[in-house]
Amino acid sequence: MWHTSLEERAVKLTSESERNALIAFLEKQGLALDGDVEYSMVITDFGKIIATGSFAGRVLKCIAVDEEYKGLGLSEKVFTHLTNEQFRRGRTHLFVFTKPQNKQIFSDLGLSLIAEVPSKVVLMENRTDGIRKYLDELAAESGEIIPSAAVVVNCNPFTLGHRYLLEYAAARCQKLHVFVVWEDKSSFPTEVRYRLVKEGTADLPNVIVHRGRDYIISDATFPTYFIKHYEDVVETHARLDVTIFLQYIAQRLAIQKRFVGEEPYCAVTSEYNKVMAEMLPAAGIELEIVPRKTAGGAAISASRVRELLRSGDLAAVRALVPETTYRFLVSEDAGEIIEKLRSSASRH
Amino acid sequence: MKQLTIQSTGIAGTLESSDISITIEQNEDKGIEIQLKSTVENLFGEQIKKVIRETLEDMGVNDALVRANDKGALDCTIQARVTSAVSRATQTPCYPWEVK
Repeated sequence: MWHTSLEERAVKLTSESERNALIAFLEKQGLALDGDVEYSMVITDFGKIIATGSFAGRVLKCIAVDEEYKGLGLSEKVFTHLTNEQFRRGRTHLFVFTKPQNKQIFSDLGLSLIAEVPSKVVLMENRTDGIRKYLDELAAESGEIIPSAAVVVNCNPFTLGHRYLLEYAAARCQKLHVFVVWEDKSSFPTEVRYRLVKEGTADLPNVIVHRGRDYIISDATFPTYFIKHYEDVVETHARLDVTIFLQYIAQRLAIQKRFVGEEPYCAVTSEYNKVMAEMLPAAGIELEIVPRKTAGGAAISASRVRELLRSGDLAAVRALVPETTYRFLVSEDAGEIIEKLRSSASRH
Repeated sequence: MKQLTIQSTGIAGTLESSDISITIEQNEDKGIEIQLKSTVENLFGEQIKKVIRETLEDMGVNDALVRANDKGALDCTIQARVTSAVSRATQTPCYPWEVK
């Protein structure tokens, strides 16, 4: 089955010609090359690309096989190559987002389905017990399972606005589960964001802070290469994330209500909230949108805090964050993060 | 017999027909746990698990989480892939290549 003319190799992504050849091949398959791809491989026949696969972090993506070469076991070759390279890099828990019609192909490669948004996207992982283990971890952190509420936050970094939202929510339920988004693409590293939320809510006895891990899907890790329209990306991502929340997390922890901060500025978040407003009540979960806390006439937001950090106005920052966050910001550990903030113009 | 403790993760094998992909992870004090996916599971699932388990026990591995994705491998292939995966997970050469 394996022709001698076929060759398997890594793509040098920094080479413009190699990159363009890969992009052209993907385009023919109706796919794009996601911007955050860190590794790509191709299988060629007399130099012509006939199959490819890539990954970014723990997400395998942009996997495609030329129509004419189907049935030769090329997708197995691609998948084995990517898995071995990931293991070499120390990553053993892998994920794939793909179109629902590819479910069977990936299932044959040994992946298990986590969740599906009909006709849009499926999320799969290379373990049969991945999400179950995560739910066990959540349950172990939660103590007694009683009717409870949930909030999902990024907290980049934790501000008085977040504090207000969590305090408000905690006062209105028996137990509040707080999930910290776990992607590491924010200015403040994941562990720092998590720690600041934990420290900033330590005095609220019914608040449990959880790591969002791989099952609270951040829009930063959600791949877009197989979705044509931008509006579709935002909505599909929201639907997938809410589906996982409902199917697994809410069910396991007896979550009956979800609180979200009002989002008047960010179009992505407000679209996300719209999807929740439709899906949660249909599943019997109440949604409450909490207006933002303001200071000096403007809503307190983490982006404003980052803006002030960038301009070095620590006094103004102090008025917007809890004491715990402020103490971190003036500590030595924060130096590098703030330095990085200043040198970048990124929104996150 | 020498005991082997799995501390990191090892992978061996491919997904080609007649091969098996074996991943070995640590599973502290929880014994040998095998998660098998196979194209011939109904017919040979139990036999494949038995070969994996015996190969591990022969090597002195008592605790391991094994994820196996089988494409119809013969017993000798399964043994070879398990041995290699354990070697990689323990970073020790487990196979006596040279005749003593």
